[in-house]
Amino acid sequence: MKIKVAVVGLGKMGLMHSCIFNMMDDVELVAVCEINGLVRKFAKKMIPNIAFVENLEELKIMALDALCITTPPSSHFLLIKTSYEKKIAQHIFTEKPLAINNIQAEELISLASRTGGVNMVGYHRRFSVTFCKAKQLLESGAIGYPMSFKGHAYSADFLKAKTAKQAINRGGVIEDSGCHVIDIALWLFGDMEPIHASVKTIIGEDSEDEAYIEVKTAGGLIGELNASWCKEGYRLPDMCLSIIGDKGTLMVNEDNVQLTINGIKNIWYKHDLNDVVPFFIGGSEYQRQDQMFIKAIKEGIKAEPNFYTAAKIHKMVDAVNLMARSQNNENR
Amino acid sequence: MKTDRILLVGDNAFHGISHLSQERAISRGKNLFNPEYAAGLVNTALDNGADGFMFSVSDMTLSIIRIVCAHRKPKSVKLYAIVPYVFEFVRMAVTEGGIPGLSKKIGKDIIISANFNSIIYGTKGLITTDPSSLLKAYLLYEESRIRRAAGKGGDLSSIFLHEVVSDMGISLNLEWLFKSHIELLQKRGIKPGIHTHNLPILVERLNEWRIDLDKIALTTQFNSLGFGMTPSREKCEQVLQDIQGNDIIGYGLLASGYVKIIDALKYINGLPQLKTLALGISNEQQAKETFKFIKREINIY
Repeated sequence: MKIKVAVVGLGKMGLMHSCIFNMMDDVELVAVCEINGLVRKFAKKMIPNIAFVENLEELKIMALDALCITTPPSSHFLLIKTSYEKKIAQHIFTEKPLAINNIQAEELISLASRTGGVNMVGYHRRFSVTFCKAKQLLESGAIGYPMSFKGHAYSADFLKAKTAKQAINRGGVIEDSGCHVIDIALWLFGDMEPIHASVKTIIGEDSEDEAYIEVKTAGGLIGELNASWCKEGYRLPDMCLSIIGDKGTLMVNEDNVQLTINGIKNIWYKHDLNDVVPFFIGGSEYQRQDQMFIKAIKEGIKAEPNFYTAAKIHKMVDAVNLMARSQNNENR
Repeated sequence: MKTDRILLVGDNAFHGISHLSQERAISRGKNLFNPEYAAGLVNTALDNGADGFMFSVSDMTLSIIRIVCAHRKPKSVKLYAIVPYVFEFVRMAVTEGGIPGLSKKIGKDIIISANFNSIIYGTKGLITTDPSSLLKAYLLYEESRIRRAAGKGGDLSSIFLHEVVSDMGISLNLEWLFKSHIELLQKRGIKPGIHTHNLPILVERLNEWRIDLDKIALTTQFNSLGFGMTPSREKCEQVLQDIQGNDIIGYGLLASGYVKIIDALKYINGLPQLKTLALGISNEQQAKETFKFIKREINIY
């Protein structure tokens, strides 16, 4: 029996997930929900055998198993809530972030636990072969006891932006790309909280374009996380984490993992890490992520990262924003 | 020993791409983003064994072509274009307001280009909501940009649909996309090309749709590691065997510098079906030596 899926939102992420789901043997991509009339009109002509609807509630008659939400972050809360309340689909995957703050995230967790089913949030870096290798090395004690870490999420997305409109629509650099580095830090080191944070405006109009966060984990480990979407030279978004342990150091980014012990460096490139998927579009990590969502539905297991995990990121981001704003007010 | 294989200069380095590491791409320096400097490298490569240039169509690569082709004999530089330049489109979708914003931007560019045929197709596409007409409008617009930049020195051999578009096409069964692309380019006297990351699935779909493989060119990665070869190196090589005689362009032979050139040559020699090879260069020494070396040594290893 195939899992019946609908995708909500036909932007670049919606298109990519539609392609991935449509290529899976155990999935039937039944419909796409898109609010923009012109996009919908063209999409209907472009993509045969898939229904296009304007409103989420039109999906109810399709007896869906799962929804994949790829609309802008500000719409996630209402779409997920409506989907649970109107019983549109039991299993929900949403692109990150889960919501716009922790209050919304907590409400969605409670709704999800009442409804049951699989829930998952698109923090796709966890499915990258290099970050998986880093986690494995860290857990095997390759660098001994971690003493500190430093990470960044950089891109040049808004380096040449003339106005801050689109940047503001994306909610700020911490919510947009900084949340990925927070997610990976939480995944590798467990719960943490910010002890110092600052946010800078570069484009103007109160857009949040650069962020610095100092964090402390529950185990007392100190780390530093940086995010910017106005970074020169970063044609592709780059995420990197360096960890210093008492026996060596570990550095990981999208392309490779570097382990240094007693001055001897071992490097594993993506090429070495069997980065193979049955169908490639956009990046192999997206394929593995969607595969996990479907596997969790079929086997009745929990998916990771789920709403609960995503709420931890919101908790961190909310605390950072609060801290940064009070810091900025003090500076004024 | 001479080879009859066509060798093309790839453009990744001029866009700041290294599939081995982003650090490496950044450390190559800003010179590579200067069209004069990049055109100098392409010219050196052409003087030392390369037959043409394979590129994503962007302002940067069009500037390179303008400089390179200005001083070449008529039709002496083979040009293999890939459209759209997806990175720029994704960036614009982010900064210009999603797919509707991006579409408006492209529409405006087409109107400014004053390409009559492109405007006709575009208008027809909008009035009748016909995606095929819109695709043709876009392809004509890109063709006119390339021809304007290339002048008489360039020989526009092929225009490829970028892998993101073609792989989306195969996954969503967009038969019309491939057929419209092929139909238009054949009328224009240009070989239609398809760039893919999923060669076996693409070929399976094209056969289902009865698209004649003899009339098109395909380009995808081939290297001894199997890097970027989906779903596996073996399956991609098998397809290459099955469709031999067709125009297949292999790139990624050095897996972004991970594979040594001699090992890449040994691998390529086992695949005589790959008649055209594209290799990136990022400095003067590579521009001087890479293509000369391949032409000299390819049949030895």
